[in-house]
Amino acid sequence: MNQSNQYQSTSHADNAAIFCRDENRVDWHSKALWNLREKRDKAAASVPEWEQLRQLGSEIKLHTLSHLGDYLCQFEQKCIENGIQVHWAKDASEHNEIALKILSVHAVKKLVKSKSMLTEECHLNPFLEKHGIEVIDTDLGERIIQLNNQPPSHIVVPAIHMKKEEVGELFHQKLNTPKGESDPTRLTRAARKHLHDQFLSADAAMTGVNIAIADLGAVVVCTNEGNADMGVNLPKLQIHSMGIDKIVPDAQSAMVLLRILARNAIGQPITTYSSFYRGGKVDGEMHIIIVDNGRTDIMQDKILAESLKCIRCGGCLNTCPVYRRSGGFSYNYTIPGPIGIAVGAQHDESNTIPWACTLCGSCSYVCPTKVPLDKIIAHHRRLKAEQGKLPFGKKYYMPAVGKLMSSPTLLNCAMGSARLALKVLPHSLITPFSGAWGQYRELPVSPKSSFDTWYKQHKASNKEAK
Amino acid sequence: MKIALFIPCLVNQMMPDVAIATLSLLEKLGHQVIFPQGQTCCGQPMTNSGCFNEARNTTLKLLNAFKGVECDAIVCPAASCLVAAKENFHEFDKSQAAQDVIDKLYELTEFLHDIAPIASFKYKFEHTISLQMSCHGLRMLNLATPSESMGPQFNKVEAILQNIPGINIVYPAPRDECCGFGGTFAVDEGAVSAKMGKDKAHTHAATHAQYVVGFDPSCLLHLDGMIRRQLLPIQTRHIAQIIDAAL
Ligand code: SF4
Repeated sequence: MNQSNQYQSTSHADNAAIFCRDENRVDWHSKALWNLREKRDKAAASVPEWEQLRQLGSEIKLHTLSHLGDYLCQFEQKCIENGIQVHWAKDASEHNEIALKILSVHAVKKLVKSKSMLTEECHLNPFLEKHGIEVIDTDLGERIIQLNNQPPSHIVVPAIHMKKEEVGELFHQKLNTPKGESDPTRLTRAARKHLHDQFLSADAAMTGVNIAIADLGAVVVCTNEGNADMGVNLPKLQIHSMGIDKIVPDAQSAMVLLRILARNAIGQPITTYSSFYRGGKVDGEMHIIIVDNGRTDIMQDKILAESLKCIRCGGCLNTCPVYRRSGGFSYNYTIPGPIGIAVGAQHDESNTIPWACTLCGSCSYVCPTKVPLDKIIAHHRRLKAEQGKLPFGKKYYMPAVGKLMSSPTLLNCAMGSARLALKVLPHSLITPFSGAWGQYRELPVSPKSSFDTWYKQHKASNKEAK
Repeated sequence: MKIALFIPCLVNQMMPDVAIATLSLLEKLGHQVIFPQGQTCCGQPMTNSGCFNEARNTTLKLLNAFKGVECDAIVCPAASCLVAAKENFHEFDKSQAAQDVIDKLYELTEFLHDIAPIASFKYKFEHTISLQMSCHGLRMLNLATPSESMGPQFNKVEAILQNIPGINIVYPAPRDECCGFGGTFAVDEGAVSAKMGKDKAHTHAATHAQYVVGFDPSCLLHLDGMIRRQLLPIQTRHIAQIIDAAL
């Protein structure tokens, strides 16, 4: 059941091939995500100005990114005025150290966390657990995979890879629900009761940040289950972690993003709870950790920089035909799918994830802030090539292909013999030699001649006729 | 108009019928058609893999075949090759002569819809066809509104074909998901590519159409191999072949 562990190889293609062995599961996974895409289409179509909203969303993010220093400074100052303590972290380990220090000062034993891809990116949970702090993920999907000892397989629906029967079995083992229970409502009730106990016994709460508003000194956190609010409002200590890319100038900009975020994620008009936090409770403390972790490096490359417009709606994963058929764990990165390739390719030691894409472009058109994902992915391939890190033997065969393709004579010769081979050899004989193509498809029916040759003969006979 | 044919290597070598149909239909429409010699590959297999150095020579050779050729338009019956040619010409040659070639490049559907529309068709085509809305033509050449986009909708492929008497046009569900070919993706990511192709072939067959019709030969070649492997009762045709038969 623990699919993330069955992948020993690091190549996306190998991992995907393993996932593809169970075709029923692939169909089920693909359909579950396509349902979200269809819901998204309906929700987007119901807003007449949808395409203008996307344009606005893109411009707001681009504007803020190009004035990032100014807005972050304004944000920090407003936060301090609001009584919030602001911390800066240059990378994941600094982020984790800062979090640990705050928690240690308050002698925190148990932390309730609401979903945050940033803390996943920083691997915060294992770090805190190593230091004796119990971390409870409180988003239902997150809690399921936490109990199952897995990372998220999707950025918005982290347990989408698990069937309800599998969740039932897991809950039976960990939460003592009756054996064989698979009714989602009853399972959710059991999870809610379990989480209630956690909320009441926690010493501190931590959340991610969907949007940070510079001129208010406030952060916005979106959840459908209200778990961020349950967490934040119970204990005295609250911590919010955000990437530097989360900032927008003002509340109006935030409203634009809130209108597109949930619609594009799961087809909901707005997330059920969109909470603005701009100060701690009476006698409480509010901390914000602002994290770079490679984002300013990404900004040095004009094409890659646009990936920072992402608002993590997950829409590009739901539409991606490759992600849906290869599963979230095949990408070897915290964030899978198109946006995962865009922001994770630098960290991919197998150098294969930029090729886990047909460049169909659907993601770029789905994206509510117009992140040009297909262009970014193609650019990553070029960067890998320039670094001499091409997968699939491309480094060795591409020069030969280049030579072949640039010479009409060579090309004619090669293709001529390929056509001949297709014609005279029985398919059973050449299929094994045609690699992945012949393994899954019939080879092309061979034409008599090339168009070139036909054209010359045709023209000659035309002249004769005249 | 005077038209130069741009026949990509895949069409030239593996699907000459598509090129012949393109030539034939353009002549029936009264255009003067020439076929400049020395055409090679557009460089797409290389640039799509990130290998720009390896693509330079072939791209420039192809560009040279068109430089200085006197014509009003350069027409190509393969959307993704056309997109790649446009981008690669621009990448490797910033001269005015290159720009002159780029400005004349049209994909066949684009040409027949935007530049020299067909007035009428002579023959009936009484079949149901399932349209294959291939990605590059759809999302990079704007041949139709992709299903992701909201607002005003248009579809140039359908606009051309629907004027053929007797034709019945349907779509697979999902309407415009990628078929999984993706050039070297078909071999690099064999398992996923095959699954995508299989799903696509089945959704086309489920429409009960006689033909899958598209504007991108490479996708059709991939689908054809899938359809025959899956023994599905449907055949692939290029849009040029349908139009040529009805003119
Ligand atoms: S890249 Fe766009 S579509 Fe993908 S998660 Fe980010 S905002 Fe959503």
